[in-house]
Amino acid sequence: MARTAKQRTDIQIAICGSAGDGTIAAGDILKQAMAKAGYNVIAFDVYPPEIRGFGKCIARARITSEQVYSLKSESDCLISLNDSHAIPHVSEVCKFGTVIYEDTPVSTVEEGAHVSSHLAPAHLPYGVAFREISERITSSARSRNIVAVGYLAGLYDMPADVFHEVISGKFASKSKELADSVRAAFDAGFQAGVDTFRLHFDRMGAAGGRGKQTDLVMMSGNAAIVRGCLDAGIDTFFGYPITPATTIMEMLAREMPKRGGRLLQTEDEISAIAATIGAGYTGARAATATSGPGLALMAEMMGLGAMAEVPAVAFVSQRGGPSTGMPTKTEQSDLNLAVFGVAGDGQRIVLAPTNVEGCYKCAGKAFEMAEAFQTPVIVLLDLYLSNRYEAVQLPVKNPFAENCSKAPRKNASPAEYSRYKLTSDGVSPRAIPGETGRMHTVTGLEHDERGKPSDQPRIHHAMSGKRHQKLLPALKHPGITISKRFGDKGAVDVGVLGWGSTFGEILEAMIEARKEGIRCAAMKVVMLSPLPVGPVKAFMDDCNEVLVPELNYEAQFASLVTGATGRSVHRLNRVRGTPMSVGEILDQIRHLAGQSGKIAAE
Amino acid sequence: MMNVSTPVYLEDKLEEVERSGKLEYRSGTLPTWCPGCGYFSISEGVGKAMTELGLDQKDTVCVSGIGCASRFPFFMNTYGFHSLHGRALPVATGIKVANDDLTVVVVGGDGDAFAIGGGHIPHAARRNVDITYILFDNGVYGLTKGQTSPTSVLGFKTTTTPYLNFDQPLNPLMMLLSYGASWVAQAYAGEPHHLTEMIKAAIDHRGFSYLHVLSPCVTFDKTSMTYKNLDMSVHPLPDDHDASDFSAAMTAAQTTDHHQIGVYFSSERPTLSDGLDEISERAKQTA
Amino acid sequence: MTMTMTEHYVIIGNGVAGSEAARHLRQRDGDSRITMVSAGKLLSINRYELPKIFSTSADWRDFLLHPPEYYDEQNISVRRNTWVSHVDPANKLLMLHHREPLSYTKLLIASGGGRYIPESLNQFKDLIAKFGTYEEAKSVSDALPKRGHMVMLGGDMIGLDLARSLVRNGYKVTVIGEGHLFWPHRVEADERQQFIAVLQGMGINVRTDVGITSIKEGGRNKPERHIVLDNDEVIDADVVLSFCGLMPSLAFMAGAGVDIERGVLVNPQLRSTDKSIWAAGDVCQIWSPEENQYRFFYGWENVKKMGKIAAFNMTGADESIDTVQNEKLVTTKSGEIDSPFWQYG
Repeated sequence: MARTAKQRTDIQIAICGSAGDGTIAAGDILKQAMAKAGYNVIAFDVYPPEIRGFGKCIARARITSEQVYSLKSESDCLISLNDSHAIPHVSEVCKFGTVIYEDTPVSTVEEGAHVSSHLAPAHLPYGVAFREISERITSSARSRNIVAVGYLAGLYDMPADVFHEVISGKFASKSKELADSVRAAFDAGFQAGVDTFRLHFDRMGAAGGRGKQTDLVMMSGNAAIVRGCLDAGIDTFFGYPITPATTIMEMLAREMPKRGGRLLQTEDEISAIAATIGAGYTGARAATATSGPGLALMAEMMGLGAMAEVPAVAFVSQRGGPSTGMPTKTEQSDLNLAVFGVAGDGQRIVLAPTNVEGCYKCAGKAFEMAEAFQTPVIVLLDLYLSNRYEAVQLPVKNPFAENCSKAPRKNASPAEYSRYKLTSDGVSPRAIPGETGRMHTVTGLEHDERGKPSDQPRIHHAMSGKRHQKLLPALKHPGITISKRFGDKGAVDVGVLGWGSTFGEILEAMIEARKEGIRCAAMKVVMLSPLPVGPVKAFMDDCNEVLVPELNYEAQFASLVTGATGRSVHRLNRVRGTPMSVGEILDQIRHLAGQSGKIAAE
Repeated sequence: MMNVSTPVYLEDKLEEVERSGKLEYRSGTLPTWCPGCGYFSISEGVGKAMTELGLDQKDTVCVSGIGCASRFPFFMNTYGFHSLHGRALPVATGIKVANDDLTVVVVGGDGDAFAIGGGHIPHAARRNVDITYILFDNGVYGLTKGQTSPTSVLGFKTTTTPYLNFDQPLNPLMMLLSYGASWVAQAYAGEPHHLTEMIKAAIDHRGFSYLHVLSPCVTFDKTSMTYKNLDMSVHPLPDDHDASDFSAAMTAAQTTDHHQIGVYFSSERPTLSDGLDEISERAKQTA
Repeated sequence: MTMTMTEHYVIIGNGVAGSEAARHLRQRDGDSRITMVSAGKLLSINRYELPKIFSTSADWRDFLLHPPEYYDEQNISVRRNTWVSHVDPANKLLMLHHREPLSYTKLLIASGGGRYIPESLNQFKDLIAKFGTYEEAKSVSDALPKRGHMVMLGGDMIGLDLARSLVRNGYKVTVIGEGHLFWPHRVEADERQQFIAVLQGMGINVRTDVGITSIKEGGRNKPERHIVLDNDEVIDADVVLSFCGLMPSLAFMAGAGVDIERGVLVNPQLRSTDKSIWAAGDVCQIWSPEENQYRFFYGWENVKKMGKIAAFNMTGADESIDTVQNEKLVTTKSGEIDSPFWQYG
């Protein structure tokens, strides 16, 4: 079957193996190469919770010519590097999809333990002698994963040159011999793939007319957060390791010192946020990163940040909860904690990006907003967004402003300086240590304009108002999407309201629903606090039915929206530790569209 | 040695401050401490020490947690951060990491430090953050009106120990020494001149300096750590004490039948900022 | 093992015989486990329909005997892309190529036949394309250009079926018939010329007067193959195929202790000399009481029938294959040849 230029590409590959099989490395090479070739790639790796050993790893990558927004619930191809781990995932392979597996196991397997015995009749088997090929080419079985990637590339007409580039780049720092050997293993696998008689129908088409692009890079959500921090000129970072946020600190630990930035691993999350706020108090751009349990520990400090009006940024990547919960599984159940988790009325800004590019944007903008509004800013991610890879194109020009702090007027008398002056926009000019004459003490106690502790009713009321009112202009902060509507304009049968990583699946479902003739729209809400009530209400006004899919049991976002707008919504909640499936959302849209139709008929 | 056996009243203190004309380091906010509280002599001492060291108020930050002692920054004419219960040290660490040019003085009480904030002390000490930690130890929770603290003596009767305290008190000096604090000393609020000297030396020390100040609570402790009792038990460290000798410091810190004041231990080693600078240099070379 | 244990029927091969056997086994024993083993990647196809590959743009799905859903509904497991490396009847165990054992309670060998290449041509076998599976047929159809020329060595009835399909679709076919022309029909010498003439009339060029000296690979931009005849004549071809009858595929039965001559020797009830092993299709040699010898029975109808009878007998019946059959080659009214071996569908 010849490759046609107009053919669309939409192939999802799942590579499944045991820790130590090079599963994630294989997936990494695949997604990097495909991004280099100009395809859109969305990828998500699943790691074992175990520290080391033999846990299951799955690397999934969806490679497309058109823009897509989520992984598919079915994969077109499964590569097994470890049959016992791969067997439960055979069922995710689509009809006439392929299963690529080891044909020459090193020893006899038990009856039924080989992946080939679990294929559905509609699956296409490709048994390959990974081990033998690897041993023949590299005199070691270790490159089985590379042979497998090569075979895949050959089988699906992927261009070999981009893989060569990625392999060279990846192994160049090690040794030339190693790079050559890995490349030879890839080539041997590739040839085996090319030589295989092909029964599957998917082929790589052209890369959506974009061709080969070097500025398209594969990046995880956490990596995009890191790039955003660096581009925003982060000065200090304080963190405590916790899945799935740890990689943010790890990447920053490599990059920040090169630019003179300072990073410290603290003794706990309380210390991390306390130091972040301490650094923010001095005028530095400071951040921390954690997950739900860490944010719970940080709650008191978040209140201090709100009360003392100190800029600080916290990246919070959610995982299954409550408590230690499911550390390596994704969930969106820390919305309430992020938005409300504080003693007293301690509102702060909460941003929840919906994709990898959004992670970059929100990270940089979080620093701007923290400064501009003198507040802690939480950027709420989840494991699925933190760890998923997308091919992104970062702006050539740094999009982030340098210093957004409202400083005291130069000619204002220092003696008259009031740190918490009540102003029309609620934001008081902020002096930082080192400024002559404007010494003051910031405090978690309620205070008057000068910062002096006070519990007078009039002052508490005025200051509470100030602390909340000053955040509202964040809804108009330049250069960031606060909320956005997609799909049909005007009145629709079903509107899907979403937030965070699940919005990718929501978009896909909405697009499918429209293809089926359902009048449908979707809105993403990036700023969860303060909530853009106006646009959300306007959207809901247009919808006969509103559906809110999210990965939590308590319908936290649905409740937030219901509380803010006073309108009811349909909830769709799943807590399986995996992303929401497009099919499930689509089914609900269809169901609601049917209801909506009935109501219209009556 | 000056004996202070009678309470010091706020009005007297204010007059004294005004007379001295040394309001430079004192804010317009008058301390809210009880008349006779040992903390007055500490704030007085910090002011004096800063004057003598020639520190600019704009480059000094006083950081505290929550408690009687933690009100301290409000009374000083420097930058101040009155933070959360137990969290003064990490806040101060953040400040120092972000801006090395600032002189950071952390003040706190025994509950703030060793109860809720106990987890942070070893790390500030071992990292050798270049800050000064002045601990006001009155052996009781004063702000919440008289409950036991981790340094309360055995048998102490408070509102939460109506049948007497049976928890062994901590030995802060031994703890700080074993945590790796590079400067450890003890002073007594009843000896303000010695206290001022100790504060000066603590701020002057490059690295993490810990000054333990014995300070009676005249309101909630009428029996144990009173001026009367402390006046009798406080002694200077022996003249031959070698502050560079860690073992000698540990031995001296074990003494519990009487309180020895002076510098227990003093050593020089790279600070956290030195380490971070070195990391940065190494990273730039790798890049 | 207990008496109440459900049967596990394993069928080696997923051709017409194996597929038909599986269908009847399921009908007659609903609770049993049925596993088919096939070297190919595809589910069962009708091999007899492969010549259609030249007249359709359809893909392999159109050649499937049953859609994938059938196997799910019938609970028939098909192990594909693997083959049996040996059989251990004593332990009722197969070893699959990828080192996985497979136990059975009753085994049906329906592995079919591969092409037979006469000894004289064996040295050229790499230049002779195969046509036994969908993959092979597709490769031949891809290799044959429009109006291209195929040279067929032998000319058995399977080959002639392909030949007639090719000429109908505008290709050129030359049959170099040696002794295998019209196999497995036994054509009397006086009728032979008459049938050859019919073939010529159908547009198939038949050469019976010559032998083959060698086959050579073509050069760049030239036809792929050159066939050098023993009269020094050279015929150019795009594809060379050999249709000289079938050779049972039985390498895996070596050392199994089951009686084999060319095929697995079975009684008219299709049971082999092992009481748990049956055979059906092109792989078995059936005892013909009439001819007093073991012989092969060919063609779609026979193969299908064997699959059914084997399935019946494996599930307790006692049926025999009809060993007396009409196997005559005939000429149709429209002037073409026809054969009972070409009846299918």
